[in-house]
Amino acid sequence: MPPFLKRWNVAGQVPLITLILLCLFTALMTDRFLSPLNLTNILVQSSIMAVIAIGMTFVIIGGGFDLSVGSTVAFAGCVAAMVIVKFGIVVGVLAGILSGAAIGFANGLIIAKLGVNPFITTLGTMVLVRGLVYLITGGAPVGDDGMPSAFIAFGSARFLGVHYLVWVPAVLVVVLSFVMHMTPYGRRIYATGGNREAAYLSGVAVERVIASTYVWCGALAGIAGVMLAARLQSGQPTAGEFYELTAIAAVVLGGAALHGGEGTLYKSIIGVFIMIVLGNSLNLLNVDSYWQRVAVGAIIIAAAAADRLRLRR
Amino acid sequence: MTHSAASAKGVSKRFGATCALDGVDFDVRSGEIHALVGENGAGKSTLVRLLGGVHRPDQGEITVDGHLRRFANPHDAISAGIATIPQELRLVPALSIAENIALGDPPLRRLLGFPIIDRGRMREEARTQLGQLEFIPDVDLLVDQLTFAERQLIAIAKALRKRCRLLILDEPTAALETREIERLFAVLDRMKRQGTAIIYVSHRLDEIVALADRCTVLRDGHVAAVSQRGEFSAADLVQAMTGRAAADFAIEINPHGNTLLEDIEERADPIRLRANEIVGLAGLLGSGTNRVLQRLFGVGGTRSVVRVNGERRLLANPIDAIRAGIGMVPGERRLGLIMNLSVRENIILPSLDRLAVGCILNRAAGDQLVAQLMDLLDVRPRRPELPTSALSGGNQQKVILAKWLARQVGVLLLDEPTQGVDVGAKAQIHALIRDFARKGGGVLVGSSDLSELARLADGVLAMRQGSVTQRIERGELNENRLHAAIDG
Repeated sequence: MPPFLKRWNVAGQVPLITLILLCLFTALMTDRFLSPLNLTNILVQSSIMAVIAIGMTFVIIGGGFDLSVGSTVAFAGCVAAMVIVKFGIVVGVLAGILSGAAIGFANGLIIAKLGVNPFITTLGTMVLVRGLVYLITGGAPVGDDGMPSAFIAFGSARFLGVHYLVWVPAVLVVVLSFVMHMTPYGRRIYATGGNREAAYLSGVAVERVIASTYVWCGALAGIAGVMLAARLQSGQPTAGEFYELTAIAAVVLGGAALHGGEGTLYKSIIGVFIMIVLGNSLNLLNVDSYWQRVAVGAIIIAAAAADRLRLRR
Repeated sequence: MTHSAASAKGVSKRFGATCALDGVDFDVRSGEIHALVGENGAGKSTLVRLLGGVHRPDQGEITVDGHLRRFANPHDAISAGIATIPQELRLVPALSIAENIALGDPPLRRLLGFPIIDRGRMREEARTQLGQLEFIPDVDLLVDQLTFAERQLIAIAKALRKRCRLLILDEPTAALETREIERLFAVLDRMKRQGTAIIYVSHRLDEIVALADRCTVLRDGHVAAVSQRGEFSAADLVQAMTGRAAADFAIEINPHGNTLLEDIEERADPIRLRANEIVGLAGLLGSGTNRVLQRLFGVGGTRSVVRVNGERRLLANPIDAIRAGIGMVPGERRLGLIMNLSVRENIILPSLDRLAVGCILNRAAGDQLVAQLMDLLDVRPRRPELPTSALSGGNQQKVILAKWLARQVGVLLLDEPTQGVDVGAKAQIHALIRDFARKGGGVLVGSSDLSELARLADGVLAMRQGSVTQRIERGELNENRLHAAIDG
């Protein structure tokens, strides 16, 4: 690699370069891509997934994995909607976020304390929580008619020209990146994910650290659930299906290592943009929706394979 | 027999910007044990990997039995009769001894026209091969029930079955006990007399002086010396390896201070460690020396109640131990370091809480601390942002020590602190340990290298079957005395 490329750490910027190339390509192929409406749409669509991906990045850096976020999004959205109708917005939003955190806490406890494999544990909670959603809602949307206007406004109104929904991940990524890089707690997450045993022998309370990453992931999925409920103006029991897969794919596209200890929050958000822009691009180019799935799957595998090749060298 | 079994002529190999080997000539004859020594990074492993087909030389040629060979992969080398026994044995623990020996090329018979494994012949062959090594186990035992030394013999038997002409052993004795080393040497001696050529890579110079017919010393990718048996001593080798005369270690005995660490409970392996004191733990594998180090650090599922600096402490996990001012350097480096994280991150990991103001990390203070320690310990290269995986073994070991110096612990527990470390780094690590003790620290060091304990410790506790059997004081401390004490 030429020295000037090395200085700019081009290898670390592959996600960003991919995103820029993808945008350039789509902008050249279709004139609708750069329309304000389309760009706003991409931002709003990305915002909810970005919040989930931030939480997923915590878990993956800590060496874990969480398949239950999609169900958590639906659960938190429905809980929030049910409580808002009865007790108002503040209590409802808190209830939504806390219910997500509670699911994360349960995951964390089972994985860190009992030592059950994270894949199996969260596969279980994914199904279990989806069942709970249908139980508490009876399978019907919640608060279809009675949502307060302020809550609905949160899902559609703008602040300084940008949707409230977009502000949420923007603020979160700044604050949480600070936590990751500038606090002992954040560095311990990297250490634990990088080598759990060595971190333990260096005095890191690894069980607590691992459990905490799932709490973050659950709470952030809870926030995403509330955001989605505001956007849909109701709690939807079917919401969030396959979100876990998109989120994991985005985190991997953003360069985080599935074996833990590596990853950056803002790069995961770039990964989210890649996923959303790709979908948008394929739509604008009128690619058949079945082929879209094939393309998305292939790109995820290609990204992971490229990462392995980089490590091997 | 003097004909060359394998040779390398003018081989060079570069990895990126580093030149691992530069125009090296090397040959090994049939019926010869040829030792290969050098500091870490001198090019030993690279040379061995070229012969084993793992890497291809950029320049120069490799010949086997006088024929020019270009190995595309390790399989080619094995077919040419070159077998490598690496430090980490490549055996399948869940398969039996016989299956492991036959792996890849099992004897077959036909059943209804289909080839199936001839298990009877497989066992018979395994017994024959192992018999040549005078090791006669039940060949149906699973490999994971064997000790490391036994597994090593299985790996050698496997190489013998492939009719190897050249056997390459990389640090074969690093994990062996005295008796096992003797058995291995007997095996190698017999193979040599049967005409096998043997390349023996080791850091233990006394072994090489005792075993090798010839010795090639590598330094910075060049051949620094080649000498015949009887023409070299351990001191000569050190000088050839480092380019300077072997440092003689002046031993000073520190006046011991207050008791730093002491067991309160009644037990078979009681420890008492004073300030300024280096206490060695000597014992065969399984004698419990590493259990002592583990329990004093709160790991291994044990709880110890001890007195640290006069204060009663329960050590149930590493966090308790670190709070009490105890640090441990584990026997395996992968347990001491988080390889994908930078040197800086590793050094400050145990001290994160002390480097935080409120809950925010003081990066500047951390960087300063790391820079100081890297200077003090001479960690090379002096680049705190490098991942620790990029460092050599000796420098990695220094980084692990730096972690505990950063934390300013009073007691250091060291498990095999210089295993697999080259001579230069070993001397530096010993100097650091002495310096730590001189400044008021207490050190408990477990090592299977008895000459290391004899040089380093103020007193050595000999252990057998989990009990401390005697304490040997500085005045009467020597290698033979230690051998006698642990072998019983």
